[in-house]
This record gives sequence, structure tokens and C-alpha cells, in this order.
Amino acid sequence: MTESKEFEPNIVGFLCNWCSYAGADLAGISRIKYPSNIKIIRVMCSGRVEPSHILKAFKEGADGILVSG
Amino acid sequence: MGDKLNFAFYWTAGCGGCEVATLDIDEKILDVAELANIVLWPIAMDFKYEDIENMDDDNIDVSFINGAIRNTEQREIAELLREKSKVVVAFGACACHGGIPSLGNFHNKDEIFQEAYVDTISTNNPDNNLPTPKTEVAEGELTIPEFFDTVYKLDDLIEVEYYLPGCPPSTDLIIKAVEAIANDNLPPVGSVIASKKTVCDECDREKKEKKVKEFRRPYEVDVDPELCLLEQGIICCGSATTGGCGANCPTVNMPCRGCYGPTSEVADQGAKLLSAVASVIDSDDQEEIAKIAKDILDPGGTFYRFGMSNSLLKRKKLG
Ligand code: SF4
Ligand code: SF4
Ligand code: SF4
Repeated sequence: MTESKEFEPNIVGFLCNWCSYAGADLAGISRIKYPSNIKIIRVMCSGRVEPSHILKAFKEGADGILVSG
Repeated sequence: MGDKLNFAFYWTAGCGGCEVATLDIDEKILDVAELANIVLWPIAMDFKYEDIENMDDDNIDVSFINGAIRNTEQREIAELLREKSKVVVAFGACACHGGIPSLGNFHNKDEIFQEAYVDTISTNNPDNNLPTPKTEVAEGELTIPEFFDTVYKLDDLIEVEYYLPGCPPSTDLIIKAVEAIANDNLPPVGSVIASKKTVCDECDREKKEKKVKEFRRPYEVDVDPELCLLEQGIICCGSATTGGCGANCPTVNMPCRGCYGPTSEVADQGAKLLSAVASVIDSDDQEEIAKIAKDILDPGGTFYRFGMSNSLLKRKKLG
């Protein structure tokens, strides 16, 4: 919880099922907290992420995109 | 006369090619005349806007509008035709997706005026006069339509029932649309009157493994008439483009430029083309990839040639 109304970027993360998503999952299981302003989308491979996915995410209001894998 | 339909044809920001395409249906134009009274067709017949204004709503059965919308007059007439028409057909790439005029969305009004009215070599405009919506002269006030910063596709501004894509739409598709209207056999509202497949699906060229070390323009290549053009290093937009033209361009050794717009599966034609092109580059070396990609002249204009208004980008950022 932040008191002041600071800018909170909306981040969309495209995470690879086999590495980064597994990592995020492990973080969840281990009860490690990470900020709620990242919305994670699981993909079967980061190679699946197309330019149009990134453009669409920006159009829907994302401030930043993370492609990880 | 009483049983006939009422048709209107109108052009906005277009090149006139769609008008010619309408006439290109040859003797079938007589079927159109048989089927319908034409109530507005500025390029061919003399009607006044007042004639339309004085009509009851829904008096026109079908309005075929070609061209994009880039000034206040075009918007006004498009809105008027919408009010008076049961069905509006976006006719051609410009009306469906913004078309070539929507490349203007890589610039803004000031840049376009500067180029067109000041910087072009053939322009002699020492006072830097630019089009102004209102001008006072001795006789009173003169007005011209106001030019927008952004080029819109038709359905950005009015509701559209059907889309007939292509720059211009092929004769076959125009005839198909007219026959569907004549037989009261129109597809569901919102339909694109073209193929559901891509241009690649309609293209007979042999498709093998795509591995490209350099991109070249058609005139720089001794084109193999059998092999996929993209495999020959020529940027061909067939894979992201709706078919319906019968792969017209690849058939005559020219790459598809994407004029039928994206297929329903494709969210953004340019982004899809970017993935297609990126996936054929034959290198794992960052520097070499960058060098190969540099061969692509004007990537924005190449990937979004007919559809900036329809893209997720829409336009260059204003301000
Ligand atoms: S779609 Fe093509 S032929 Fe039709 S008006 Fe636009 S530029 Fe001209
Ligand atoms: S990329 Fe072009 S040449 Fe190759 S199959 Fe598709 S339409 Fe034909
Ligand atoms: S091949 Fe491509 S550019 Fe040529 S008419 Fe068909 S869709 Fe348009």
C-alpha cells in the first residue's frame, strides 16, 4: 500500500511456461511477494509472442511490457 | 421505376480508381441500372447534396462509399448518407482500412501542408499561403473544408454494414456484391466480401523453406516465375492479407502489397508482416540480422501501406 498517489505503471509480462513462468510460480509457492501491477500472461514459449501482442497490450493500456523466457 | 432500389455512390479521400473499378464491371453496369436508380454519383452524374438532404431517412437502399475521411466535407457527406441509407458499403481499401491516404498518419496536418504547399520543388508559394478554412475577401467570407490531422477509415465515423476491400476491389467481388444485393442474399452484417483465406492460399507459387539473406525490390531481381517471392527476398505481404483477388499481383511477378487488408485472424497487418519477415531472415547473428533488415526500404510504409487507420498504431503520436 502506498500512501501518496505515485505513478504505478501497468506492466504486462509475457512469461515462458518453462522458465520465467515456472519462476513466478515458484515465487508464489514460496510466498515471495511481488508487486500486483504486473499482469502475467503465460505463453508456451517466448518465441510465441508476436509484435501484434505487444501492440495490443499497449493499446489496452499497458505502460510497459516484459517478454521473458 | 417504383420497384427499383436506390443506390448512391460517393467518393471521399480516394484516387478515383474505385470509381473506374465500378465502371469496369462492363456490361454488368446495365444490370445495376436495371436494378437500381442512382440517386447520387458525383463523378458520373449531376445531383446536388440538397437532393439527398431532402430525402426521408432510409430512402437510399445502398450507399457505396469509397475513400478515407480526412476533412470536414467528407465527414459531413458520409454522415448524411448514413442517415439516408439502409445499408452502407465501405468500398475499397481506403474506406475499409484507410488505404494509401492513411499513410498520412505517419505525419500531421502541418507537416503535410508544409510539404505539399511549400517544400515541393514544383511549388512557387513565396507568401507561404496555406489552405485556411475561412478567408475574408471583399465579397464576403470564403470557406473550404477543414483538413484533419488524422485520416480515418469509414467505420471510425459512421456505422458500416459491409466491407468490399481491395485497391480497388476486383471486378468479380463487385459483381458478387451487386448480385447478393439483387437477390437479397447478403451475408451477415459486418461481413467482409472477400475470401476467408490469405493471398498465400490463393497463390500458386511453390513454397519451400524460407531463408533470406537479403531483401531486394522487384526490379533488382531476375524473378523466378515459379517460386514464392518472399523466398526470393522480395517483401510479399500475402501471408497477412485477405484473399479474394486470386493472388493477382504474385501471378504477374509483383509481390502482394496487402491491399485487401488483414484477415479476420490478424489483429494488425503490419505487425503480422513484421513477424513473417523476421522469421525468414537467415541468420543468428544480431549484427547481420540488423544489416539484412536495413535492406527494407520504408518499413512503416511497406508493412502498413494500405491500412494505417486500421492498425493498432493508428497514427504517429500527435504533439
Ligand atoms: S482503394 Fe485504391 S483505387 Fe480505391 S480510392 Fe482508394 S486508392 Fe483509389
Ligand atoms: S508470400 Fe507472396 S509469393 Fe509467396 S506464397 Fe505468399 S503470396 Fe505467393
Ligand atoms: S495480391 Fe495483394 S496487393 Fe495484389 S490485389 Fe491481391 S491483395 Fe491486393
